[in-house]
Amino acid sequence: MNLTVNGESHEHAGTIAALLSELGANPEYTAITVNGDLVFSKDWNNFKFSDGDSVEVLTFVGGG
Amino acid sequence: MSNSLPTWLDPSPWLNRIFSAAEVQRALGAESPDEKTLAALLSPAAADFIEPMAARAQALTRRHFGRTIQLYVPLYLSSFCPGGCAYCGFASDRDTERHKLSFDQVETELAALKKMGLEEILLLTGERTPQADFDYVLKCVELAANHFHKVTIEVFPMSEKEYGQLAEAGCTGVTLYQETYHPQTYQQMHRWGPKSEMLERIDAPGRALGGGLRFAGLGALLGLADPQFDLLALYRHVRHLQKTRWQAGLSISFPRIQNEAGGFTAPHPVSEQQLAQFVFAFRICLPDVPLVLSTRESAAFRDGMAGLGCNKMSVASKTTVGGYGDVGSDEGQFDVNDNRDVTTFCTMLRERKLEPVFKNWDAAYR
Amino acid sequence: MKSEVRNQKSEVGTQKLILGGVEFTSRLILGTGKFSDTQTMIQAIEASGTELVTVALRRFNRDKPDDDLCAPLAKLKNVKLMPNTSGAMNAKEAVRAAQLGRELSGSPFVKVEIHPNPHHLMPDAIETYLAAKELAADGFIVLPYIPADPVLAKKLEDVGCAAVMPLGAAIGSGGGLSTAEMIKLIIRDSNIPVIVDAGLRAPSEAARAMEMGCDACLVNSAIAAANDPSGMARAFALGVKTGFAARQAGLMPKSEVAVASSPLTSFLS
Repeated sequence: MNLTVNGESHEHAGTIAALLSELGANPEYTAITVNGDLVFSKDWNNFKFSDGDSVEVLTFVGGG
Repeated sequence: MSNSLPTWLDPSPWLNRIFSAAEVQRALGAESPDEKTLAALLSPAAADFIEPMAARAQALTRRHFGRTIQLYVPLYLSSFCPGGCAYCGFASDRDTERHKLSFDQVETELAALKKMGLEEILLLTGERTPQADFDYVLKCVELAANHFHKVTIEVFPMSEKEYGQLAEAGCTGVTLYQETYHPQTYQQMHRWGPKSEMLERIDAPGRALGGGLRFAGLGALLGLADPQFDLLALYRHVRHLQKTRWQAGLSISFPRIQNEAGGFTAPHPVSEQQLAQFVFAFRICLPDVPLVLSTRESAAFRDGMAGLGCNKMSVASKTTVGGYGDVGSDEGQFDVNDNRDVTTFCTMLRERKLEPVFKNWDAAYR
Repeated sequence: MKSEVRNQKSEVGTQKLILGGVEFTSRLILGTGKFSDTQTMIQAIEASGTELVTVALRRFNRDKPDDDLCAPLAKLKNVKLMPNTSGAMNAKEAVRAAQLGRELSGSPFVKVEIHPNPHHLMPDAIETYLAAKELAADGFIVLPYIPADPVLAKKLEDVGCAAVMPLGAAIGSGGGLSTAEMIKLIIRDSNIPVIVDAGLRAPSEAARAMEMGCDACLVNSAIAAANDPSGMARAFALGVKTGFAARQAGLMPKSEVAVASSPLTSFLS
């Protein structure tokens, strides 16, 4: 199915963990929102993407 | 013990401290004056620095208040009192004749005061009595608020709800002197009556501000206890309210029992020199808090102190019930030492390049 | 509403800074932005001795996975993370950013910063207040970045913030303590710690802030943009310590030169 990940189109049908692995992101240091809602890491295993979902993959960068 | 001071108010740690001249000098130049600064400036060692203290107090008073003196006038509504305050001319064991203004008489007095040009009025009673109870005070506030921009009360401690009702009726402030913060002295002086509950009184200004009154005037009746104790506790009380009721307008008065006045001998008499030192010390440590001097003090002393720390004064006061209009009774709560009328007093202020301010708050804001 | 007990200012004379019930030995908080690279930033953090650093939340960039600070920061012992809400244009966005930051960091600390104008980056007092109120009620340890406004500071204390962080000057400006008089007023009546955030350029300014009675300083640009960030981090740590020690020791007063031409107290017989 087609997802929008961080603003870009991305074909993906698996779990959140699989998506992060594809992106090369460390799941321990990543927060996920789907259609604007925070998905807590404890819920990742049971989460199912739907076609057209808008996904944000967030991490920490330097900031004051 | 119900009458011991809460820790936040207790100034005891400072009382055995002896300050040196060098410490007083340091206090005089403190960048952010604090309790230690005040303790040093109230100490006997600071008496030698009265002139530089006056200079600093004057500079700070001018910076924060300009060359102005705010004026207010007290109106005694009733001399009925169940209280047993040892120092008060209206205590219930004094055989003075008791009076209470009828609402018609209140109107007459208000009209007389208004005619003098006054705009801020302080309504006074004794402790709560059936003769002068909450409803009576409430009605008098309503009457006064019809004529005066700023109506404040110096009556008995109330509940927050009652203060709220007064605020609705047009009352903007409360004056409530603790008299003394020294627990043993407080118990000795307040021999009976509702006022003998010390903590109830300490909490009252906070309740008034919580109930919706905007201004609270605090003070200690100097002469009752060690002035260092009372003034440091007073400072703590003010700072506590500044930090917890930060929207409150606070002011501090310096009522002083003069020896033998009213037949009561002050156990810790305070001289004019000391009083001046205390006022300067408070001005330096609380530069933006109005400091008040009443007509208990002599004309010469008030003239000297005007603008030199003090920025608010009562004028043309009578401490008898009524006394401005037709109504009058003979014996007052205490002796007035400055009997000048409004015109004479204002002339003095202007000669000293000070502007009398009758009104700096408009009832239209209410 | 009164501040909760956990937000009490530490007692005079105590050495530790207390934020939301958590004790800190260091009174220097570091921002992690604007460093040339992660290694330099980590070295600066270690040199500063700080125990609390701010971080920002951004989209994961698969082209630059090394930008992720979580792994290197996680290796630092005794350093807690405080996610900020930068990028948020209003209270709603800031609350969301804070929730994401908490999920990611596991830290209850949040620096609420909302600066809708991208040029001067001045904080939006109204949106900051609304966000801080909501986040404090939600259990966050809230440290809002604010204009040096004594009224706003008291209102933020009332809604349960753990500290207030008034600006010394504009973010990144190096303008120093241009708001010193306002900050003094905030300190005077505050029951919670006051932390100068933004504007500091020199360690002497951090020392001055601490001498005035600030409880801590938050520094970023001045360290990140120095020739030697680690050296400057060390210098700021010393500046903060020096100023705090001076505050506790009590500064000598400035000399009083006011002498009236004629005595003011001659009326006292």
